[in-house]
Amino acid sequence: MPIGSTLAHPAGIQPGGSRKADPMPDVLETSLTAVPANGGGGSAESRPTVPQAAESPAFRHSRTHRLADRWAHLAFLSCSLLVVGLIGGILFFLASRGLAAFWPVAGNMGRALHLSEVFLSADWAPSSDRFGILPFIAGSLGVTGLALLIAAPAGILTGVFIAKMAPAWMRNLMRQVMDLLVGIPSVVYGIFGLTVVLPLVSHTWLADAPASGFAVSAVILAVMIVPTIVSLSTDAFESLPSSLDEGAQALGSSRWQAIWHVLIPAARPRLLTAAVLGLGRAIGEAMAVQMVIGNNPQWIALMRESTDRAPFLRALFTPAATLTTELVQELPNTAAGSTWNNVLFAMGLLLYLLTMVLILATRRLGRGKEA
Amino acid sequence: MLIPTVPETKPIKLSVRNMAFSYGEKKVLDGLSLDIHAERVTAIIGPSGCGKSTFLKCFNRIHEVSSAVNVSGDMLMDGVDIYRGGIDEVDLRRRVGMVFQKPNPFPKSIYENVAFGPRLFGVSDRTSLDGIVEDALRKAALWDEVKDRLKESATGMSGGQQQRLCIARALAVNPEVLLMDEPCSALDPIATAKIEDLIGELKENLTIVIVTHNMQQAARVSDYTAFFWLGKLVEMDLTERIFTTPRVQMTEDYITGRFG
Amino acid sequence: MGAAPVFRRSRSSKLVDRLMRGVLWAIAILFVVVLILFVGAILKQGWPVLNLSFLTKMPETLDAGGGIKPQIFNSIYLVVLSLGISLPVGLGAGVYMAEYAGKGRALNFLRLCIETLAATPSIVLALFGMIVFVQAMGWSFSIRSGALTLALLNIPVITRVTEVSLLAVPRELKEASYGLGATKLQTILKVALPYAATGILTGLVLTAGRAFGESAILVFTAGTNASAQFPDFRLTVPGETLSVHLWYVTSDGTLPDAREIAAGTAAVMILVLLSLNLLVRLVDRAIRRRTR
Ligand SMILES: Nc1ncnc2c1ncn2[C@@H]1O[C@H](COP(=O)(O)OP(=O)(O)OP(=O)(O)O)[C@@H](O)[C@H]1O
Ligand SMILES: [Mg+2]
Repeated sequence: MPIGSTLAHPAGIQPGGSRKADPMPDVLETSLTAVPANGGGGSAESRPTVPQAAESPAFRHSRTHRLADRWAHLAFLSCSLLVVGLIGGILFFLASRGLAAFWPVAGNMGRALHLSEVFLSADWAPSSDRFGILPFIAGSLGVTGLALLIAAPAGILTGVFIAKMAPAWMRNLMRQVMDLLVGIPSVVYGIFGLTVVLPLVSHTWLADAPASGFAVSAVILAVMIVPTIVSLSTDAFESLPSSLDEGAQALGSSRWQAIWHVLIPAARPRLLTAAVLGLGRAIGEAMAVQMVIGNNPQWIALMRESTDRAPFLRALFTPAATLTTELVQELPNTAAGSTWNNVLFAMGLLLYLLTMVLILATRRLGRGKEA
Repeated sequence: MLIPTVPETKPIKLSVRNMAFSYGEKKVLDGLSLDIHAERVTAIIGPSGCGKSTFLKCFNRIHEVSSAVNVSGDMLMDGVDIYRGGIDEVDLRRRVGMVFQKPNPFPKSIYENVAFGPRLFGVSDRTSLDGIVEDALRKAALWDEVKDRLKESATGMSGGQQQRLCIARALAVNPEVLLMDEPCSALDPIATAKIEDLIGELKENLTIVIVTHNMQQAARVSDYTAFFWLGKLVEMDLTERIFTTPRVQMTEDYITGRFG
Repeated sequence: MGAAPVFRRSRSSKLVDRLMRGVLWAIAILFVVVLILFVGAILKQGWPVLNLSFLTKMPETLDAGGGIKPQIFNSIYLVVLSLGISLPVGLGAGVYMAEYAGKGRALNFLRLCIETLAATPSIVLALFGMIVFVQAMGWSFSIRSGALTLALLNIPVITRVTEVSLLAVPRELKEASYGLGATKLQTILKVALPYAATGILTGLVLTAGRAFGESAILVFTAGTNASAQFPDFRLTVPGETLSVHLWYVTSDGTLPDAREIAAGTAAVMILVLLSLNLLVRLVDRAIRRRTR
């Protein structure tokens, strides 16, 4: 019978077949037992034992080795558990102080606030017992949004430039530039903004005397988060199969058309992840922003009142405040346990929860990519 | 039967009975039974993916390091079950050495590569280490080539030298069995010939199991040959018989290159 | 049957391609220019102040002409201490994730935790450190509060670097080690970690740079005062670092020469970070040459 047919039907060699080329079940045993001069059976006990290789007693693990192996596992595990514990610990301690603003807690000096009078009010006058943190939330969102508006397109385009267009020397140069930018401390960014950027725009047609506000903060923040976005989007573009790019260009699309119509859409989930992580960095940044934003909790009112400039510019160059800058600004001046202090911790808690949400969002995006 | 039966004088070193193996849910080996004799070379042949490497790794339980696996049936070494006989897998791996398809020297000096094993077991004085290293390198027929450059990096050696270094490294801990998974597949014919000669010498006091895709190699170096197909043992016999008068049609087809 | 249409690239698509290539180059070059201007400006501002006496004098509280000697010491001391705390934890967690955790939910959850910790704003870590170390433990603003909180910043970075470097160790090398009868711990210590060492070391230097520049955490845990003694190794005294000093003199404004001090401090920090960066590069190159 033709071999081919047996091979085409692997089931043909299962026991129960009757063809000649179907020998496995019985031949298996015979071939074993037919190993010459060994007779059947093959039980190891019936044979002469092997002369043990002259065994050097040194080649045995000592008890200590084995114990070390076991304890090491535990040690490594506890390091990981410590990290997990930290996540929970931070949440617990921030909540214990932040939520104290809303519930009457022992040792709490002030009155218990209502959630809405904190999160839905723009009236921040702690000395008069008014704790609306809306200006800070809006400030954080505003400055972060602006920064992202600059950094995301620039970062993603730089990413595609590095991954798909730049010659090798330029690629290396860009990597080094980004490495340096990410390594510069916040306070140095802050002092640069304060001493170089602010004087540049102050007292010009853009702004009256000190030009602190959203615009300068956002520009500084954008430079700070761009390396994050660049490095993640470079990875995203580099991990795309090269067939994608080649395929598009083989059809006659130009370099840019391939990037715009094929590469960017294909990398979209990871580009979004890059933007979200950049957003996370921006929203949590404290010192650099605090040094240039002007720290004015009453910025909403100020923006409404002043009429000296075009509304748009007024918005960009009004001294303002964010969640993080307000924490830096006021935390040292408040007594632990006071309502004021508790509300500041509630702002910290809000930032932490936001971080968690953003990280979970990147997970979602990541999963979308796999599907 | 045309071929005269040679009386087998060597005892059985490894014995497998009704063994099955799976990676998690995926069944890879099934219903295997065979014996491997001490101081003999046993070749395992079969088409790609039929489970040869897997089978080999079962003898020193090295797959347990990286995957979740399931082994049933008996695997005995010197009559002791290596999975349930109270044998510690770390000890087992010292007794059952392994040489891999691609030479995998550590990125250390030649000397340190060979001394690595003994050091694991606490051998640290220089003279004993020197002795062990020289001995192992001699057994692997590498000593003369490298004795003047023991301090040089092992990654700078030729592929064939690297593979013999890996053999020397395995020999340095005094194994009883040496498993070789396609040890020559990354080597040129000259390096291959050297390794084949080496196998012939090593079997004087080692049990060797070798997986190979090269029929001539199996014919040249081995005493016994086992043919695997789809995770099952099709036939095992004296090598000369497998290559001249196999009992199963499929074996003959495979050896003569009609499939696989 | 009509003639096959002729597909020709339109002029506009060629134009757009040219234009966008130009734009991409321009953006990239813009970043290079920004960096050069940035570093140049900081160094230029700081240059007149930078001299030996600035580096070796104690700071003044009200008068001009103070130095930054204790801040330099505190910066280094805090970086070393925080690395000393975070290195074992980060290494341990990284090893666990790469070698022990398997591929299931546990690993996923651990990753999530590490990512969250890495993304947690330093001001939030500062609040945590303030509650736990400064207030609850009663350590007030001190080197030990600062070092412990700063360690929280380092841990996720070191963990991640360790995990990634270990995952890059070729499986064959680990198998070779196991094949010789090595225990898991031996394989990790003698094969995997040495192989991963360069990656971990590079990550460590970058972590050190980050800790060196950190300010938000330290303002609220190590404080804005430097000890009057020098060198003061006590863990219980406040330890103002360079970055905190830079921020404090700028925002406090009692020093007549706050601007100059801040500029000089910024220049010192930039120089330190540039040297660290260079160090990483040199080490990297040396290692790459040796392994080749
Ligand atoms: N770690 C693993 N996890 C899951 N499945 C595996 C794993 N390793 C191997 N397999 C599967 O087990 C089967 C047998 O693989 P094995 O490597 O033993 O084959 P082989 O006979 O050695 O093949 P080759 O001749 O190509 O080396 C294959 O189907 C393979 O896909
Ligand atoms: Mg194989």
